[in-house]
Amino acid sequence: MAAVLGLIIGVVVGLFVKPDIPILLQPYLPIMVVAALDALLGAARAYFERSFSDKVFVISFISNVVTATLLVLLGNQLGVGSQLQTAVIVVLGIRIFSNVSAIRRFIFRG
Amino acid sequence: MTRRRHSPDVLTQLHTQQAQDRENDSLQTGSFPVVRKKPKRLFDGRTVQMRLVTSVLILVMCALLGFGYMIQLNNTNATYETLSEDELTRLISETGTQVQNLEQRKAELTSQLESIKAAANKTQEAEKIAKQNEETSGILAGRLPASGKGVSITITQGSKTAVDAATMFKLIEELRNAGAEVMAINDVRVVTSTYIADTSEGLECDGITLSTPYHVLAIGDPQNLQNAVNIAGGVGSSLKVKYGARVTVTTSDSITIEQTRTPVEYQYAKTVQ
Repeated sequence: MAAVLGLIIGVVVGLFVKPDIPILLQPYLPIMVVAALDALLGAARAYFERSFSDKVFVISFISNVVTATLLVLLGNQLGVGSQLQTAVIVVLGIRIFSNVSAIRRFIFRG
Repeated sequence: MTRRRHSPDVLTQLHTQQAQDRENDSLQTGSFPVVRKKPKRLFDGRTVQMRLVTSVLILVMCALLGFGYMIQLNNTNATYETLSEDELTRLISETGTQVQNLEQRKAELTSQLESIKAAANKTQEAEKIAKQNEETSGILAGRLPASGKGVSITITQGSKTAVDAATMFKLIEELRNAGAEVMAINDVRVVTSTYIADTSEGLECDGITLSTPYHVLAIGDPQNLQNAVNIAGGVGSSLKVKYGARVTVTTSDSITIEQTRTPVEYQYAKTVQ
């Protein structure tokens, strides 16, 4: 409930407030968004599995975002930023797909 | 024999085994066993507080997610930061060629514009010259009526003898010499080819018989024209003395010569190209 409410609030605020994000953060924002999305879907899956835990969600959310950002940062420092970014996106995409399929299997029982 | 006796037994064994396996492999419960048990929650103050805090945290984080998503949506165009070096180089070269193309096009259009402007100027110039020519040659050829400062001369019938053509022509010549630009005798516009001849009915000018008194209109410097007629020993005095005609010269600031001439078609003369 809180998650859905938060999402709606965030989207609405993002619609009306258009701040200039710092240039330093710009390359990491999409990665952060995708990582957070993955965490959210993981939480949804856990919810359907009846094993949802607030604490785990919060920790996984933060750790997902931080890990993805740090990985891309590392890649940027090593000169393979775009490749590593692609790798992170691919991995997160796969996880999102598996999470969604798990949810789908739960909902449609097949 | 034993084998044969045993074989149906094995088959049934296999059959039951398979049935059992199928039952065991059944996915009826789904990938996720629904049998997980939750530990009983203890509803003391601390847990409630913790739950509140985590709920708020989840709310904030999801809000951040949505916020970041929206920002990224509005921001995707300006992220050259995330492009690789190759892409940036390609982008620069593409933009460079585009700029070059546009510059070339601009140069072409500019030269086109210049030539069009020049042509327009030329046409305007030609038009102006043509108009000028039309006016001057129109006045010269007697095609257009003219007006301006000049003199009006009236010559009555000579009391001694009739005024002859030579004297009349001399008058015209004198006026021309004095700078007369446009002239007319009675109804005839005097042009370059004007002649005056003696006939039995009097003077004839360009095929038209002139009746007395002769009215000569001339546009030019009035003073000069008057002097040319009235000068001692000139045409005026010879007209008076020899023919006994009365010559009156009046200067005027606005002589209007309405008499015109249709332009002649030249039969032999052609312009030199």
